[in-house]
Parts: sequence; C-alpha cells; structure tokens
Amino acid sequence: MGILLLIVPLIAVLLLLTVKQSQFRHAISVGASSLLLILALRLNREVLLHGSVQYASYGGFFYVDALSMIVLDIVLIIGFMAAIFTPGYLEAEIKHDKIRRERLGLYYSLMYTFIFTMVLALTVKNMGLMWIAIEATTLSSAFLVGFYNDKHALEAAWKYVILCSVGIAIALLGIILLHLSSAGVLNSSSFLDWTALYAKAASLKSSVLRLAFIFILIGFGTKAGLAPMHNWLPDAHSQAPSPISALLSGVLLNTALYGIIRAAVIVNHNQGSSTFTGRLLIGIGILSIATAAVFILTQKDYKRLLAYSSIEHMGIIVVAMGLYSPLSVFGGLMHMINHSLTKSMLFFSSGNILQKYDTKQISKLKGVLKIMPVTGTVFLLGLFAIAGTPPFSVFASEFSIVVAVFNGPYKWVGVIFVLLLAAVFAGIAVTLLKIFYGEPGDENLQAGEVNLPGTVCLVILLVGIAVSGLYLPGDLKELITKAQGIILGT
Amino acid sequence: MSNLAVNSNLLETLSVLILLSSFVLMANKRINSYIKTFRIQSFLIALAAGIMGLRSLMSEGRWDFLVVCLLIMILKVLYIPNMLNKTYKNVSYKVEKDFILNIPILVLLCCGLVVFSYFTLSGVDGISQDVLNMQLVNSVSVIWIGLLFMISRKKAIGQIIGFLVIENGLYITAMYSTQGMPFIVDLGIFIDLLTFVLIMGVMTFRINEKFDSIDTDQLNNLKG
Repeated sequence: MGILLLIVPLIAVLLLLTVKQSQFRHAISVGASSLLLILALRLNREVLLHGSVQYASYGGFFYVDALSMIVLDIVLIIGFMAAIFTPGYLEAEIKHDKIRRERLGLYYSLMYTFIFTMVLALTVKNMGLMWIAIEATTLSSAFLVGFYNDKHALEAAWKYVILCSVGIAIALLGIILLHLSSAGVLNSSSFLDWTALYAKAASLKSSVLRLAFIFILIGFGTKAGLAPMHNWLPDAHSQAPSPISALLSGVLLNTALYGIIRAAVIVNHNQGSSTFTGRLLIGIGILSIATAAVFILTQKDYKRLLAYSSIEHMGIIVVAMGLYSPLSVFGGLMHMINHSLTKSMLFFSSGNILQKYDTKQISKLKGVLKIMPVTGTVFLLGLFAIAGTPPFSVFASEFSIVVAVFNGPYKWVGVIFVLLLAAVFAGIAVTLLKIFYGEPGDENLQAGEVNLPGTVCLVILLVGIAVSGLYLPGDLKELITKAQGIILGT
Repeated sequence: MSNLAVNSNLLETLSVLILLSSFVLMANKRINSYIKTFRIQSFLIALAAGIMGLRSLMSEGRWDFLVVCLLIMILKVLYIPNMLNKTYKNVSYKVEKDFILNIPILVLLCCGLVVFSYFTLSGVDGISQDVLNMQLVNSVSVIWIGLLFMISRKKAIGQIIGFLVIENGLYITAMYSTQGMPFIVDLGIFIDLLTFVLIMGVMTFRINEKFDSIDTDQLNNLKG
C-alpha cells in the first residue's frame, strides 16, 4: 500500500507531460494530490496500529515510522493545499502575461517530481538513499524557484542550487563518516540502514560518529535554512511562485530537519547523553533565531519577511530538539506541524496579495483589508499566529518549548530565547500592521478576491490552526507521542 | 600476496596524483584548462576504482566497483567534460580574468588545507591508526580544495567544476575509507550528479542570456 505513495506522483508526472489541455492538467494535479492524501490517511492508521510500516519486498528499503509519518503528513497536506491553490494562481499569472501557457506542463511535472523526491526522502530506511532524495529535492525545485525566468528569479535559483548542493555535499561527507563509524559492526546488507544503526548505536565508533554529526548538521542545516548557512532561503522563497514558496517553506525545510533529527538520535543513543548534539543544536538554533530577528526588524519586502520568519521557526525547532527532554521534543514536533500549516497559509495569501497589488514592497501596500476582506483577514490573523499569539497553535507549541527551556540545564538560553521571540513579534507587528489599515492609494485597484478555491483553502487552514491551538485530536497526539518515543529512545 | 602489495602501492600513488591534480586545477587560468584538468582527475579516479574493482572481483567476486569504474569513465571522463566544453563555447565571447586572489596565494592556501585536514583527521581516533590515514587525508583535502576553488572563481562554469571536484573528493573519500558506499547509493549519486550538471548547464545559458555574461559577481541584486 505505502509504495503507492511513490508511484502516484510518478504517474502524475507522466500524465502531466503527455496531456496538453490546461483544464486536464489542473484536474490531474488535484486528483493526484487528493489520492496521495487518502493514501496518507490509511498509512497513518497502519503506523498508529503497528508502530512502523515496512515491507520485505522492494529490497526492504521502504520504512515509515511515527517520526517520518508526521513529516509525510505535512508534505501531503500542504501538497494538497498547493494543488488546490495553484490553478487559480497560474491562470491569473497567464492572464497577466507573467508566464506562458505552454509552461504549465513544466510547472506541474516539476512540482510533482518535487513532491515525489520529498516522499522518497521520508520513506526510505537507508541514510544514503535519504541523502540522494534530499539532493534531488534541490534539483527538482531549482527551475521552480527560477520559474519566472527574469534576472531576480535566475539569481535566486542559481544561489539556491549552488549553496544547497555544496551544503548537501558536506552532508554526504557526514554520511560517509557515519558509514565508516559502523565498519565492522554492520554487515553489508544493512550498511547505512537507519534501524540497524539505531539498534547497534552503542557499538559504533564515537569519535567518528561525532565528526559525522557535525558534517550532517552543517549539510542538512544548509537545506533547512539554519544560520549562518541561510543565505539562499530568503531569495528562493521570495522569488518562487507563491504555491512553491509555500511548499519550500512548509515542507522542504522540515524534510531537511528530519535528516538532522535522524542523525542526532543515533549520536545521542551512542553517547548515552544529549550533551554533544544538544550544545550544537541549541547554539545553531539560537543563532538562527537571532539572525532572523535582525532581518525581520528591518525588512521591506513581505515575502522575504515570511522567509526570515521560516528561519526563525526552524531555529526554534532545532533548539527544542537540542534540549532533548520529553516536553521539548513533543513541543518541537508539534511546532513543525503548526509552523508548516501557518506559514504555507501565509505564503498562499501573500500570493493573492501579490497578484492584486503587483508589488512585494511593504510600503506600497495599503488598505489590504478593504480591498481583499477574506485574504486580508487571513493574512492579518496568520501574521499574529506566526508571531506566537494565542489562541493559535504556534503559540501552544512555542509555549511548551519555552517552558522546556526553563526546565532544562541552560536557564540563560531561556532568557535569550524569550527576548528574541519578543523582538521577532515586535518586528512582525510593527512592519505589517501598516499594511492593513489606511486608504488604498491606487485608484485603479478594485475591491474583490482573486482565486476563489485558493481563498477557501486559506480559510480551511486558518480554522485548522485556530482549532488545533486549543484542542489536539487524539490520533495526532498519539502519533506525536510515538515519534517522541522514537527520538528519545524510550 | 605480492600482487596485492603492488595494488595498494598503486592506489597510494593514485591518491597522491589525484590530490596533485586538484592543485593543478587551482593553478589553471582558463576555463578550458579547468575542464581538461577535471577530465584527468576523473580519469585517475576511474583508474583507482578499476584497481579496487579487480581486487574485489578476485577476492570476493564483487563486480559493483567495476560497474562504478565504467560509469565514471562514461560520465565524468567523457560526457560531463564534453558538455561543459559545449556550454563554454556557447556562452564565451571574450577571455576575462576569472579569479579573485592571485594563483600563488591560492596554491599556498591549498597546502594549508592539506595540513588542516591532516590535523583534524589525526585527532579522531578510529581513523588514525593504520595506513588508511594518509589516503583519507588526501581525499578529504580534495573536497576542501574544491570548495576553495568554488569560492575563488567568479565564472559560472568555474563554480560548476568546483562542485564536481568536491564530488570527486567525496567519492574517493568513500572509496578509500570504507571500500565504497552501498552500490545503490553510488548509483543514486551518479543520477543526482548528472541532473545537477544538466540543470547548471541550462542555467549558465540563461544567465548568459539575461546578464550578457556568466560572471556570478553580477548576481547581487537580492539583498537584506
């Protein structure tokens, strides 16, 4: 069953390349992503029932447990939302001569290749194959980032590919060292196999393993947008078409973080404590939050602002994983889900706003609430949510992480952490409240929404993050608890 | 047994030659000589893979190294350099100075990188007991030199070559330290590498179209 998750996107790519009519292309995309969502629901049930799903066939490569299931759910939910949002967005871009109709096929086939590579990264047991899939995510999304094909988009795409590929190459050195640390412990059939590494973690060579972790952290950290390797992220997120920005920010970053978490679990297991990984992760996490805070406070472009906010949230999750206490890990996993849903909602609504106003400058947006009541409301509430205001879900998970920091061994980290969160909050509030009020300066702007199905999508996401801030469904809680168990090794 | 000793001598020599080729690359001034040096380096790596392949075929009956050797020959020695040459011919219209620091300083920095990787790796127990040590130092140095090459060159093709050298370095690190990655992982890496080169070729072309140059220093509009 699970293997269908890999087959469906591939079939979708083939169909999208052969079919020529735009309507059919939109229909295939929506159909494929709904199918993937249904498959994911079934797989969820299996994971909840058995703890992990793996098949002896297909060379034993397929493996999904609660940890990968959480990220996989995020990928497929955001993928589905993006598929619903995309037709309206692209049709409007074609109408305004931003892109040519012939390129629709390219867009969709790359988008599904991108989804395929992410699903592949999350469903393999072998760390080497996971590396290949994560490198393939960069390659498949390169042309999506540069899709508008103007100077800025090309620059963003070039930086994206060069920086991420070099980063990922460093991660490969880490994977090679991981392989080296298991020499003599594993036999050739289970080389780089995550479950085998986990089971035999205690007998791996510690010193080589620690070196491996540093390289893996730098490598996958580049892809996750952690400072100081984050330079590609604001460019790529701001230049890509909005549905792709949502996928990059909501999904891709988590996939890279997932790689770091998998490696950290093995190292912690080997060391018997989390001191080594904890210090590295907390350090790099705080640095990311601080970098993002500085740029958010001075930001003039709203898509870049959202991108920097993604760096901040990746930093928060990494700090949570570094603390390695039950509460912080639970909060971190929850934060992954909450950040993805909220941030993709914001990128979708920024897409609507961008199409209406045709500018990314914060100073040129005025009276968004008057011109676009629904999108404007969603964007406003979404910004409050992402900054960490109750009752939204981001607040709930941030709060548990803050509590965990103060319960942990590094109290002063808690002080810096809270101060930085406050700075980010102020930055977002000050820069963006300007957008919503005031008279729309441009007389030519007509009030009204663009992209109706997309707007419905926004409202669903908004309701989702508002409800899950107050009440966590039992199944989801169980899934997170199981993943927490995998990470903590209990 | 003497056969085996000859083999490992050969492998050691090759490892030094590969390191040397990356020094030569750093000293190259023109883009077409980068491509030539890259071709030579890949050929040396293919030779090393071939020797290891013969050895593992004779002792364990494994054939996967030989397949990898063949793949390196086809991809890195023939296809990728030819493709880069073609891209270069399409985009070049004048010869410009392509490096930031002058060459003697860059070569000195390379020596520094070799010393750096010697000291980092000799501090890690589990790596540093046996002969494996020096070959691993050579291979890891190739990775860092590739990285320095990327930083020091401004042209798009220079950066692509730098990435390919990093990849070469990674490949020999895996080969000399762990007798290679699992075969399927090797295959996947080749597929990724091929896609990378194809994508970067197309992008170089587009950058040349939009910016009238392949100088990546011009890619500096997005800030803050």
